[in-house]
Amino acid sequence: MDPALTPILEAAGEAHQLATSIEGYVYPNEQNLLWSVLIVVYPYITGLVAGAFIMASLVRVFNVKALTPVYRMALLTALGFLICAPLPLLFHLGHPERSYQVMITPHVSSPMAMFGFVYAWYMMAVLLLELWCEYRRDLVVWSVRERGLKGLLYRVLTLGVRDLSPAALHLDERMSKIITVIGIPSAFLLHGYVGFIFGSIKANPWWGNVLMPVIFIFSAVVSGIALCVVLYKELCWFRRKVVDAACYDDMGKFLFYALLVDFTVEGLDWLHRLYAAEESIFVLKQLAGGRLFNTLLVIQLCLGTLLPLVALGATQMVPEKLPVWFRQRIYYNSAVLILAGVLAMRWNVVIGGQLFSKSLRGFTTFKLGLAGQEGWLLAVGLIVLPFIVLGVLIWLFLPDDTKATETVTTPAAG
Amino acid sequence: MNFVISRRRMLGALAGALGWIASQPVAKASKATVQKLLAGSPAPKGYDPTQHKWLMCIDVDRCIGCGLCVDACKTENHVPEASSFFRTWVERYIIKKPADGGNDVRGEVLVDSPNGGRGGFQPSLVPREEILRSFFVPKLCNLCEHSPCAQACPVGATFDSPDGAVLVDPTYCIGCGFCIQACPYGCRFMNPHTKTAEKCSLCYHRITRGLKPACVEVCPGHARIFGDLKNPVENDPIQEFVRKNKVFTLKPHLGTDPRVLYANMDKEVR
Amino acid sequence: MNHFKMPPQIVRLVLLTLVVVGSYGVARRLLVPPSFGEYGWFRGAAIAELAQTKPVLAGMKSCDECHSEILQTLAKHDHKTLSCESCHGASRTHADDPDTKPPKVKFADSDCLRCHQSNFSRPAWFKQVDPYEHFRGDHCTGCHMPHQPKDTP
Repeated sequence: MDPALTPILEAAGEAHQLATSIEGYVYPNEQNLLWSVLIVVYPYITGLVAGAFIMASLVRVFNVKALTPVYRMALLTALGFLICAPLPLLFHLGHPERSYQVMITPHVSSPMAMFGFVYAWYMMAVLLLELWCEYRRDLVVWSVRERGLKGLLYRVLTLGVRDLSPAALHLDERMSKIITVIGIPSAFLLHGYVGFIFGSIKANPWWGNVLMPVIFIFSAVVSGIALCVVLYKELCWFRRKVVDAACYDDMGKFLFYALLVDFTVEGLDWLHRLYAAEESIFVLKQLAGGRLFNTLLVIQLCLGTLLPLVALGATQMVPEKLPVWFRQRIYYNSAVLILAGVLAMRWNVVIGGQLFSKSLRGFTTFKLGLAGQEGWLLAVGLIVLPFIVLGVLIWLFLPDDTKATETVTTPAAG
Repeated sequence: MNFVISRRRMLGALAGALGWIASQPVAKASKATVQKLLAGSPAPKGYDPTQHKWLMCIDVDRCIGCGLCVDACKTENHVPEASSFFRTWVERYIIKKPADGGNDVRGEVLVDSPNGGRGGFQPSLVPREEILRSFFVPKLCNLCEHSPCAQACPVGATFDSPDGAVLVDPTYCIGCGFCIQACPYGCRFMNPHTKTAEKCSLCYHRITRGLKPACVEVCPGHARIFGDLKNPVENDPIQEFVRKNKVFTLKPHLGTDPRVLYANMDKEVR
Repeated sequence: MNHFKMPPQIVRLVLLTLVVVGSYGVARRLLVPPSFGEYGWFRGAAIAELAQTKPVLAGMKSCDECHSEILQTLAKHDHKTLSCESCHGASRTHADDPDTKPPKVKFADSDCLRCHQSNFSRPAWFKQVDPYEHFRGDHCTGCHMPHQPKDTP
């Protein structure tokens, strides 16, 4: 066969394959989806970071004492996931080796360019600082007790500040509180900005929406708390400890109210879309009722929002009628459903936003491969990785023998 | 001991910061030299991007749907062969007659672009008596005045050149695809070989040499009109085009302010 | 405490911040491309680099250098709006070195029909034929000379 024909035949084969997956008209360059599962995973992980941090700040800023058993765990969760947050972005880049340019020549008008700075700010000025203030006393103690690499690590992490005088510990305490206050808007910024990456795309009516950052923030808070609910129970099970009932009840309460706000905001978004009924509304309705039916209406709305809302609502309305073990089971199962629902929400935003054409005249189909840069395996790996990192962090910084309630430097000192 | 080290470190950091500030003018000067070297070396000698303002206009009534422009563009710019990568493409619009007794003046709108219109268009399968109107619309980068793609690029790899072209720097693009999502016109794609974003450059390597863009060169119907606003020629085609026609832009509600002007375009085009 | 002493935590953190910010500054100095910012937030040299790509289509002007009499004929007839490379294909290699043959030397009816096959979507002013009704000869070029389509060879 004439080798010059090969590309033409390949093109014809591809054209045929595309023709079978396309409905209506899409611009030729839009036939294959550009952003795949990795970009679904990325806002999911960042959301968990922000949510876990908000969870932790409830203890510090709002003095919710009942939640102290999960304070450190929530902070470590935020750190573990934050470490992994940029990986999906990095893997999806065409040229990961050029990623440093985002920091070196950041284009200030680009929301994506601000990622590096928001991330660096949140990582270094908020999370690491807060953890350092929180842990400094323990690090000094552990660095004396532990030997070998582990001891060395603790020693390095003290940054050489070994002062354990009451004045120094009091300063740690005060700094920690100030950082948390800065941290809350920072956590909102971190995830609100992720929503803005999508919300700022006016070319795409599914994304370009002022409510997008708000929706992302609240779904992040919900998913973060849900993750803590799951992790706390698993951690207790793993260490054969009893779940702190008051703490778990409070977590369930916050999970319910966060979910309620999240549901309201997303409902408002839909109400606005349907009422304003801009030219895109027909294609968006078709999208929601067609290609996104399962992930949007079934998983995200019914299983991920309405069902947990009813179940958690029952625990808030009639707690006395439900035995403790049953309430805890509801919290746990609702949290699992919510985690799945929020993942579906990220999917619906990222994948859904690319399934219809910007010509508003047709749809394409998403085909997910198993291997490769944008395949299932890598995505699953990137979701599992933060849990492994978290496991290491818990092994290092949340030792079994310390009773969580004691290690928390309670605000009593101040 | 600790204190001594930290003081030394602090002094070092301060010295570094001072050195950075001091090196500023030197670095600027060396930058200028490099710039001169680079600006002096390219093949099209003496091209100054600030002395031109390029523009393309489309007369929909003159497009015959031969697809030669798409072919020429693919060849000229080494665009990947596959049918999902185009810097320019041609769409066919078929507006059917409204249903009998209905309230519509215009019926269903069918749009297609088989292989981007590259091989031309076979007559449509829709029977002629059902068609109210039909026409071809060539598409390309809209050269937005407020280009959302350049706004979205995190590193400044895609940019509005002073001469009106919106370009991609393939050695600087990180391949994030944000510009592709930001383009409302679907004019961009990710090149699977270079892994960088790609788009119509108005055949930058041609126009800087005084040649026409490839699509304009081969267009048999003169549906594509190309010119330089800063250096109008005698009977300048662009000036004549805007004087004679009522012109439209694509998706004006998005505020991108496209500089590519369309004449004789129907409301269904988007 | 009778005299103020900077707490050790603050000292360490300030130093650490200086190190981080300082190394960012140094990295910026070293890594920003030289021509960045010449015209705007991009590498100014990219403009010149993009202009350096070699064209593939030669353009009618270079055809005129050798084939001016054909171009003059073409300009007098209905195909005057056509460029040489619309039908003959991209020919820069031929233009640079006239000894190499232009890519396309044989023509088929499909080359004519690509534009002239009757199609309701084409504008009405444009000359279109139904090949099955119109076709009376052997090939299009049997009756029409491409450069002067109304003339018969």
